Amino acid sequence: MRFWEIGKRNLKELYRDPVGLGFLLGMPLAFILIFSFAFGGQATSPVSIGVVDEDQSQISAAFVSCLESIPALEVVSPVYKSQSEAEEELNTGGLSIYLLIPHGFSEAVEHHQAVDLTLAYNQVDPMLPQRVMPVVSAAALGFLNIPVPLNIELSQREVEIKDEYINYLIPGMAVFGLMILITSVGGIVVRDRARGFLSRLMTTPARPSDFIFGYTLPFIPVIIISIAIYLGVGILMGLSIIGNLGLAFLVLFIIGICCMGMGMILGTVARSEEQASGAPWIFIVPLVMISGAWWPVEQMPSVIKGIAEALPFLHAMDACRDVVTRGAGFTGILPDLYWLIGWTIALFALGIVLFRRSMAR
Amino acid sequence: MNAIQTFKLTRRFNSLVAVNSIDLKIEQGELFSLLGPNGAGKTTTINMLCCLLKPTEGTAQIMGYDIIKEPFKIKQTIGVSPQETAISEHLNSWENLALIGKIHGMSSDEVKRRSGELLEVMGLMERGKDRVRKFSGGMKRRLSIAMAMIHDPSILFLDEPTLGLDPQARRATWEHIAQLKERKTILLTTHYMEEADFLSDKVAIIDEGKIVAMGTPRQLKANFLKTRTMLILAENVTPEIMQGLKSRYSQVIEVEGKLRISDENLDFRELTNYLHSNGAVVHSAALEEPTLEDVFIHLTGKEIRE
Repeated sequence: MRFWEIGKRNLKELYRDPVGLGFLLGMPLAFILIFSFAFGGQATSPVSIGVVDEDQSQISAAFVSCLESIPALEVVSPVYKSQSEAEEELNTGGLSIYLLIPHGFSEAVEHHQAVDLTLAYNQVDPMLPQRVMPVVSAAALGFLNIPVPLNIELSQREVEIKDEYINYLIPGMAVFGLMILITSVGGIVVRDRARGFLSRLMTTPARPSDFIFGYTLPFIPVIIISIAIYLGVGILMGLSIIGNLGLAFLVLFIIGICCMGMGMILGTVARSEEQASGAPWIFIVPLVMISGAWWPVEQMPSVIKGIAEALPFLHAMDACRDVVTRGAGFTGILPDLYWLIGWTIALFALGIVLFRRSMAR
Repeated sequence: MNAIQTFKLTRRFNSLVAVNSIDLKIEQGELFSLLGPNGAGKTTTINMLCCLLKPTEGTAQIMGYDIIKEPFKIKQTIGVSPQETAISEHLNSWENLALIGKIHGMSSDEVKRRSGELLEVMGLMERGKDRVRKFSGGMKRRLSIAMAMIHDPSILFLDEPTLGLDPQARRATWEHIAQLKERKTILLTTHYMEEADFLSDKVAIIDEGKIVAMGTPRQLKANFLKTRTMLILAENVTPEIMQGLKSRYSQVIEVEGKLRISDENLDFRELTNYLHSNGAVVHSAALEEPTLEDVFIHLTGKEIRE
C-alpha cells in the first residue's frame, strides 16, 4: 500500500495549505457565480405563470388582475380559456407552471366556500411550486379582503425538452472548472520534483503506479466538493435538473478523474512549475471553447467538431446536459460514458508508462 | 564484497560528458567523499548509483546488485539525502519519517521507535511535532539525513549535506554524520574541502567528470604537495621586496594583508633574513598545513569556488 502512504502525504500537503486549497475550491465557486450571473439570472426574475380561467366570471377576472399585480409573478398574456391550451404549452416547454381557476370559482368565493385551485408544472424546475404556492395563497387570502379557504393541488407533468441557457451553461462550466485539476495535479508533481522530494521518493522501492495513484488520490475529495459546488450553486441560480442528479454527478466525477490523469502526464513531462501551471491554459481554454462549453459544436466547422468529438470534454458536457436537461438515463448516455472511461484508462496507463521512464532517465 | 563498485561508469547529456568512465571501489563501513566543484559530475554519479539516472556506458554494483538490472533491490538497500532538502514542508518530522519508513515496508511500531531514536540523535525531538516549514536550514538538513536513515539502510548517499548552512550548523551536521561513520557505508559529495578532510576515510577528487586523484586525505596531501607554504605578517614590504620574493619562490601572493609564500625549497630562516635585510619588519610567521584545496589546485590548476 505504498500509494496510500504517498497519497496520505499529498492529502496532508494539500489540505494544510489554506491558500492553495482556497484557490482550488474557490475557483469553482467563482466560475459558477460569475457565469451564472452573467448568463442566467432566473432566480431573481419573476416566475412566468400561465393562468387558465375556466370560470370566466368577473370575480375570476379580478383574481387574475390581482395575480398580475404581484411583482413576483409574471402572468402570461392572454389568459388561457381552456386547460388543454395551457397543457400543450407545458408539455412543449413554453410554460413551466400554470394555475387553473376552475368552474364555480366565483360561486365558491361568494359563499365563502373552499376553493380548489390546481397548480400544474413540469419537472424542469422542481423548486417552482414552492416559489409560487405561497404567493398564490397570499393573493387568494387577501383577495377582496375576504379570506378564501384555498386547496391548491399540485400536479406534475412530464416534458421532453427544456432549453434554457443556464441548463446549457452549467454542465459546460462544470467541465471547464474541473479542468483546473490538470494544472493542480501537474503543479504538485512538478513542485515536488523541483524541490527534490520526488527524487527522494524515487530512491525508495515505490513503483510508478504508487506515484500515479498517490498523487491523484488526494484530489478525489476536491472533485466531489467541486461538483457539489457546481451543481448546488447551479440549482440556486436556476439550473433545472430533470434527470438523475447522481448520474450527472457521476459523469462529472469521471471527467474529473480523467483530468487528474492528464495532470499526472503534465507533471511528468513539464520541466518547471511555470510549464505545469500557466502554459496549459493556452490549450485548455480553446479546448473548452471547441468542446461546446459556451455554444453548440454544431455551429463549428467540421474539422473543429471532429477534434472536439475525439476528446473527452464534449462527451462529458453532452452526457451531463442529456441527464440534466433531457432526463436521460444511464443507458442513454452510455456511448459518452464509454468514451470518457476509455480516455481515463488510457491516460492513467500512459501516465504510468511515462512516469516509469522518468524514474530512470 | 565492496559496498559500491563502479565499472567505467559514464553519463553523457548530448555532447556533454558529465561523468567520464569512472572506477570507484568503496568498502563496507567506509565514508567516501566525492570532492569537486559545482558541475564536476558528483550529483550525476550519485543519481546513477541511486538508480535515478541510467548510465550511458559502464555500470555499477551496490552490495552486489547491478544498477541497471536490479534497481528495485538497490532501492531497498540504500538511503538517500538529496542535494535539495527534499522534505515535505506541511508535515512534521514524525510524519516525514513515517512516510519514508512505511514506503520501505516498516510497521507503525517500528517507524515510531526508529523515528524517536533518530530525532533524538539529530537533536530534533523537541520540535518533532512542528511543521518542518518553520525549521531552520540546518534542522531541515538534519531531518533530511534522518529520513535517509529511517529504514536502517546499509548504504547512505549524502549529496552536499551541508550546502547553504552557516559554519555553526555545518559543524553540527558534520558531528552527526561522524557519529554514523562506523555503522554505515556513506558516499558523500561535497565541494567543501574541510568537510571532506574532516569526515572522510577516503576522498576521490572529481573534475569535469573524471576522477583526478583518490586516497585518504593524508595520502593525497603527502603525495601531491611537495611544496611548503608560509604565512607572514610583515610591515614595510616594498614593491622591490615583493619583486625579489617572486624571483626566489614559486608562489607569492597577498591574502588578507599577509604574504603567502610557497616553494619546494622554502627555508624559514633564509626568508626572514631576506625580509629583514631589505627593511621589512616581520610580526609573525607560520607554516601553513596543506589542505585538500591545495591538492585540488595542484591537480587542476583552479580553485573550487563555493
